[in-house]
Amino acid sequence: MRVILESKVRAKPNLPIEAEAIIPRNFLKGTDLIVYEGNKERTLSEMFWIFVEGTAVSPENIEVILKGDTSRIKRVGEYMDTGSIVIEGDIGMHCGNFMSGGTIEIRGNADSWLGREMRGGTILCRGNASHYCATGYRGEKKGMQGGKVEVSGNTGDFCAEYLAGGTVHIHGSAGDFPGVEMRGGELIIEGDATRPCGNMKSGSCVILGTVHDMLPTFEKIEQRVLPEWKVTADVYKGDVANRGKGTLCVRS
Amino acid sequence: MTEIWVKNACVIDPIRGINGEIMDITIRDGRIVESVSDRADVIDAQRCLTLPGGIDSHTHVSGTKVNFGRYMSPEDMRAGRTKRKGKMHVTSGYYVPTTFGNSYRYSAMGYTTLLEGAMAPLEARHTHEEFTATPHQDMLANTLFDGNWAVMDAVREKDIRKTAAVVAWTLKAARGYGIKLTNPGGTEAWGFGEDLTGIHEMVPHFAVTPAEIITTMIRANELLKLPHSVHLHCNNLGKPGNYQTTLETFDIVPDLNPDRQTLYATHVQFHAYGGGTWKNISSKAEEITRSVNSKPQIVMDMGQIMFGRTMTMTADGPMEFNLHCLHHNKWSNHDVELETGSGIIPVTYSKKSAVNCIMWAIGLELALLTKNPYQCLLETDNPNGAPFVKYPEIIGLLMSKRYRDEECATLATGVEQRTSLCALERELDWHDIAVMTRAGQAKALGIINQGKGHLGIGAEADIAIYPIRTDSVDPAREYRKVVEGFQKTRYTIKRGRVVSRDGDIIVDGANATFWVDAKVPEDLRMENDPEFIKRFEQFYTVRMSNYPVQDVYLPRGRRIETEVFT
Repeated sequence: MRVILESKVRAKPNLPIEAEAIIPRNFLKGTDLIVYEGNKERTLSEMFWIFVEGTAVSPENIEVILKGDTSRIKRVGEYMDTGSIVIEGDIGMHCGNFMSGGTIEIRGNADSWLGREMRGGTILCRGNASHYCATGYRGEKKGMQGGKVEVSGNTGDFCAEYLAGGTVHIHGSAGDFPGVEMRGGELIIEGDATRPCGNMKSGSCVILGTVHDMLPTFEKIEQRVLPEWKVTADVYKGDVANRGKGTLCVRS
Repeated sequence: MTEIWVKNACVIDPIRGINGEIMDITIRDGRIVESVSDRADVIDAQRCLTLPGGIDSHTHVSGTKVNFGRYMSPEDMRAGRTKRKGKMHVTSGYYVPTTFGNSYRYSAMGYTTLLEGAMAPLEARHTHEEFTATPHQDMLANTLFDGNWAVMDAVREKDIRKTAAVVAWTLKAARGYGIKLTNPGGTEAWGFGEDLTGIHEMVPHFAVTPAEIITTMIRANELLKLPHSVHLHCNNLGKPGNYQTTLETFDIVPDLNPDRQTLYATHVQFHAYGGGTWKNISSKAEEITRSVNSKPQIVMDMGQIMFGRTMTMTADGPMEFNLHCLHHNKWSNHDVELETGSGIIPVTYSKKSAVNCIMWAIGLELALLTKNPYQCLLETDNPNGAPFVKYPEIIGLLMSKRYRDEECATLATGVEQRTSLCALERELDWHDIAVMTRAGQAKALGIINQGKGHLGIGAEADIAIYPIRTDSVDPAREYRKVVEGFQKTRYTIKRGRVVSRDGDIIVDGANATFWVDAKVPEDLRMENDPEFIKRFEQFYTVRMSNYPVQDVYLPRGRRIETEVFT
């Protein structure tokens, strides 16, 4: 089954819409869902033109497609566990929070907090992702714990903060402090990064571009070839300032 | 004129010696009276358990330290969210909830009076502001003197009158209620990067020992005739083998007051560890309770821990640093100028950790081994041991051997070998629980005269009616009913108004803050003491004239005056 949601023109297009109801499983029972525009409760049909093609008996077969101006829609795919969501344009903050399964594809850019505290599934962002991509909640000890986040463009600051499991793959560059407080998992940045992996405890990080302002609290242990990338990299252990045992590989 | 007539209440009022009598309680204008007119609102208690309003004699619910706990744990604000409902504000948080969250949850459990365990005098304004936002409980603030320079100077000079004068001035300036000593000397030593390991060690730079601070403060406290005794958090908290320090401390306490204890030792569970390292830590609750049983001058409280996540916050900065070195999680440390310090870290007490399991067992052992329930009060040092919402579970554990055994079966090994909990058959009764949650607190805090902790004629009409029928519930077997019953009162009556019904708050609160105006002879007025003023202006970042809390911070302050000593 395919559900196409095309956003309607709004009088105040900057008002955020909180749409945690938009997950594939919810469309099994129809499209009578509630979203919030600012502090006002709205039905889904007030905000979107809804087209449903075909039927489905299980949520795995449901594909939700968002079209039109979706850049102010927040929390799409929160607690999603199966099925797929395709966003043709940009998406607002907190897309894929707590996601545990299924796939989200964003053809445009994603705003901050993409895949926060994710536990499983896949998020593919074709454009750029903003700050706090694949991180955790403020104050919480564990961020993303499983699944995969792949960003084709660049990310903002604090990407993969408190990463505890799963894979984060950034094809472009990351901003300041990627992988800070990492506890596990894998972070790959193909572009540049600034001050990566501060206070890292465990996990591994590979940076194939240039590292600006490398932190002095990482201990270089060897230089080796990374076969999957076919490059030679300096391998660091750290963050020694906090007894960390993470691995940071930076292209030599 | 508002009148309430509570009918058919099964009253336990230990202070007046009433144990389970079915009787009526009549209330007029916030006080309990002989009789009321026919127009009074009638509450049919249906023979349910009716107790004086609960009193927590050591909790951390207001002030800078608690608030910094809130800053530090935004993740906690995801828990315990409730919406606005009638008169209730929104609340959030589990172990460091919003002030209204604290107030509503305490009220739902039948608590009507709280003592904030540690208020730094310099930060008293903030504490009093939060008191006004904790509207359903009367508040008292223990004031920290553990590292007060003026006190330590007076102690070094062995001048009890001068010590008393400094205490009186500071209590009045901070609108505090009693003397709190937290790791006396130790926190100030830590301020200079050093630490103390025993009560007979010199505090660096001050040439006094913790033992001298404790004994001098006790004598000054009794000289001032303060309603509460010295409230002590012993040295060496949370260190294996620290029971020695605790026993040494108890041994130097004189018995000076026939009406109440002369030392209130708080969260003794954290001070009753044997062994030498975390690996061989064991319970020394038997030694501690043996000492307390033979010393009527000491009252302690449990400091029970319960499993789960919480935040530890105390004025004991060095202890929190040591804990931080174990946990490597977030940590905050704070120095309060010439007075004290504090530290905060989050912890998770886990059933998988043998140390945590032993700590859990020690708290219960203390309560079960203390013969007189007036000498071991029930609390968790909220939120250090557990958030106060766990009190009903602790009551259930104390009243049911079966519940304890079932819990023990889920714990890590070591509890049976290193504590005596499993061998204790004692099950507390309703009367003991009433003592440990209100009567004992009222006596220890010296607020019986203020009409707290009992239901006699003229007492404040603070009443908790729990949905428990003591004649039909067997706490040893049906402990679940006991726990549920104590979680939510049918009615909580605060100063003659029903504030909470079945867990819902139904009125805006109007609490009072009690503070002590201790009188001193004319020649001991600190505001006229040139040496004190000079030191103050030299070292504090505030002027002495700006230091005292203005009355505007206590919209419903209640002053308790003491007699002048000679």
